[in-house]
Amino acid sequence: MKQLKVIVVLVLAVLVLAKCRKSEVFPVEHYDDRLSGGDETVFTATSTSFGNMFPGLTGYDIHVHELGDAVFSQTFVTAPAPIHSGLGTLFNNTSCTNCHHNDGIGLPTAGELQSSLLVRISLPGEDEHGGPVPVPGYGLQVQDKAVFGKTPECKINISYSYRTYSFPDGETYELRTPDYSLTNLYAPISGNYLLSPRLAPPMFGLGLLEAVPESEIAALQDLNDADGDGIRGKANYVWDAVTNRKMLGRFGWKANTATILSQVASAFNQDMGITTSVLPVENSFGQPQYDGLKDDAELPDSLLNAVKFYAQTLAVPARRNTTDPTIKRGLQLFTLAKCINCHKQTLTTGVDVSKPWLSNQVIHPYTDMLLHNMGPGLADNRPDYLAGGQDWRTAALWGVGLFETVNNPGYYLHDGRARTLTEAIMWHGGEASQSVAYYSNLSKSDRDAILKFLRSL
Amino acid sequence: MKTKILALFGTLAIMAAGCSKSHNPDPDTTSATLEAQVLTDFPANLANPNYLDIETKAGIMKDAAGIFISSSTDANLKAVQDAWKNTRAAWESCEGYLFGPVEDFNYDPTMDDWPVNKVDLDALLASSNQLSVSDIEDLGTTLKGFHAIEYVIFGVGGTKKAAQVTEREKTYLASLTESLYNTTRELRASWDPSVSGNFTHQVTTAGNGSARFATRQDFFKALVGAMADICNEVADEKMQTPLAAQDSTLDESSFSHNSVTDFTNNIKGVLNAYNSSYNGTSGHSLSELVKAKNISLDAKIQSQITAAISSFSLLNGITYEKAIYDNKDKINQIQTAIRTLKETLEGDLDAFVETNIKD
Repeated sequence: MKQLKVIVVLVLAVLVLAKCRKSEVFPVEHYDDRLSGGDETVFTATSTSFGNMFPGLTGYDIHVHELGDAVFSQTFVTAPAPIHSGLGTLFNNTSCTNCHHNDGIGLPTAGELQSSLLVRISLPGEDEHGGPVPVPGYGLQVQDKAVFGKTPECKINISYSYRTYSFPDGETYELRTPDYSLTNLYAPISGNYLLSPRLAPPMFGLGLLEAVPESEIAALQDLNDADGDGIRGKANYVWDAVTNRKMLGRFGWKANTATILSQVASAFNQDMGITTSVLPVENSFGQPQYDGLKDDAELPDSLLNAVKFYAQTLAVPARRNTTDPTIKRGLQLFTLAKCINCHKQTLTTGVDVSKPWLSNQVIHPYTDMLLHNMGPGLADNRPDYLAGGQDWRTAALWGVGLFETVNNPGYYLHDGRARTLTEAIMWHGGEASQSVAYYSNLSKSDRDAILKFLRSL
Repeated sequence: MKTKILALFGTLAIMAAGCSKSHNPDPDTTSATLEAQVLTDFPANLANPNYLDIETKAGIMKDAAGIFISSSTDANLKAVQDAWKNTRAAWESCEGYLFGPVEDFNYDPTMDDWPVNKVDLDALLASSNQLSVSDIEDLGTTLKGFHAIEYVIFGVGGTKKAAQVTEREKTYLASLTESLYNTTRELRASWDPSVSGNFTHQVTTAGNGSARFATRQDFFKALVGAMADICNEVADEKMQTPLAAQDSTLDESSFSHNSVTDFTNNIKGVLNAYNSSYNGTSGHSLSELVKAKNISLDAKIQSQITAAISSFSLLNGITYEKAIYDNKDKINQIQTAIRTLKETLEGDLDAFVETNIKD
């Protein structure tokens, strides 16, 4: 009897103690910080590191991804053609991969085979949805190439002026300031117009960023700087042509596109002149270059969706050397410099049982997906929905350490003006001014530690 | 006593083992030496001679085009067609290892973009635009290179006769062949060890100062990746697209009916890449590295490459344009052989490189 009592008391004690320890979410700091893309991370650091399929894909999904990959790398030609038909009549390039070389960031040139810089154009003011106002005869993007017999809209000219600066400790760096202009306009533009150059961004990890719940991103906003850290952050809300409603802007250098599908369809339409069911009107409609063919949509939905799926399911390369003491120190300094207040280390994707590979993933993209004022140095002075002329969406830094490996040499920022990570940091202004000042005043070894940390991403 | 004898034997055994060990070369050193030899021999025995061969043959095609233009006989047209096929063979085999300058500097799309932009090409020929070499070099990639030349000299269906080649097409052909030749010269020079900034140096110094390949493993992974990529491109793009659509106009090299030869030479390029060999000359190779540590894996890869190459004989000379309608089962068998090879390259061989090449 006594034994029984003891057992009962012990069982109760265990139960009480068990109750004391509340169940809790597995703490983020215990995750392996090499897994930048959660389960959809790949351990590779070569020139093809941005082009890997999600490891979690199975069965038919693999086929669709591979089909999308094939279309992504295919050159399109003038309609009518038996295959890959519909290029132009106006376009910037002839295939996706010519701009997104190796699925990475592009080259900041215009008019050449692998030029990856396009130029948005608009009139001052807002359209009925709060977006930029198209320029009559040009739309919202200039196309500097045309199929045979048609006239390109213009020639894009890029020139740079160079200036050398010094850190307080005497180390020097050079910044190149770009100047963009349009010549050879096929038709005059009356009044002032606004230009914004945009470099083709890397393709990987987009599906994971799309799967981060809107509420999680919205909660990171600090519109009035309530926490007094000098950093605000605001979400862009943009018109989505697929759903015909305002949605959270996630993609593009100013977060002016809501979904991967819209991004892909817009790239086909605006960059290559290929119509889809989503955007079935030629970019040259209403202009003398219009082909007048009744062949829209030129790209079948099956292929559009395959390319969308491809872009959605490109895996994130893992971080390297995360236990290296200098790299750990670099992360500490990156945090102390408040870089991490915008380049948020960790986000979590929402639960989606239909897409287990995207569902509930702890990811390390180093972005908050929000717009921040980056000051006059980087400004394009062309508003895009809620993004003002000095606002840019925090660039995701995952993979940034591999830009040079994948796209030798690598370029940085929205127009590729920065040729090194140091230049990219030093171009920051506005809300990032304090971080830049902090970085500048560090010793050379500490600045190098931050760079080494960035190269581990 | 017994214990003492046992102890003595034990000691001797240990000493003997110790002695024999000291006489064996360190396997890591052996392996590292062989890796270095492969890094030297891959460019020396394959890449450089292959690119030189492309240049030489492109030069012959350019000259043959010149002869045809001055004397437009059927025999001279056939000489251009043959020269096109010879150049094409050398080019297709180098696609077994598409990395480096051929990709970085767009030599591949500049020479071999596909499909031909037939609408624009016909319009260009119908226009009075200049067709000098510099004009050609300014054109989009789908209006020049191998397939634009193929279109002009073979025509749709491959039945073109000398009398059907117009004067304007001849002018275009002269500039197209010269432009292609210029590109092959640049490509050859990009690997030439005597040219400053050459890519051979990037390979031979992999893991030892190479800006391109920080480790030797990076080089070997790039090589294996390229070998697998061309298998995928042949089985699931070049062969699959016209087969699935049941449309022979979607077939690359359909003007010349050269597709099966193209495919075969692509897979022969995989064999060349694996063996560091070209035109009968070979050197230290990835195959040797595999064989040293996993003889059965090497045998498996060799036999799967051979099987994939010989599987094309199933078509028995039938053009691919016809086979996609009449011989689907045989095409499926060829695709299976290539896919099997691809899986071994991406799986076993890639894993072998990761496990065994650590420097």
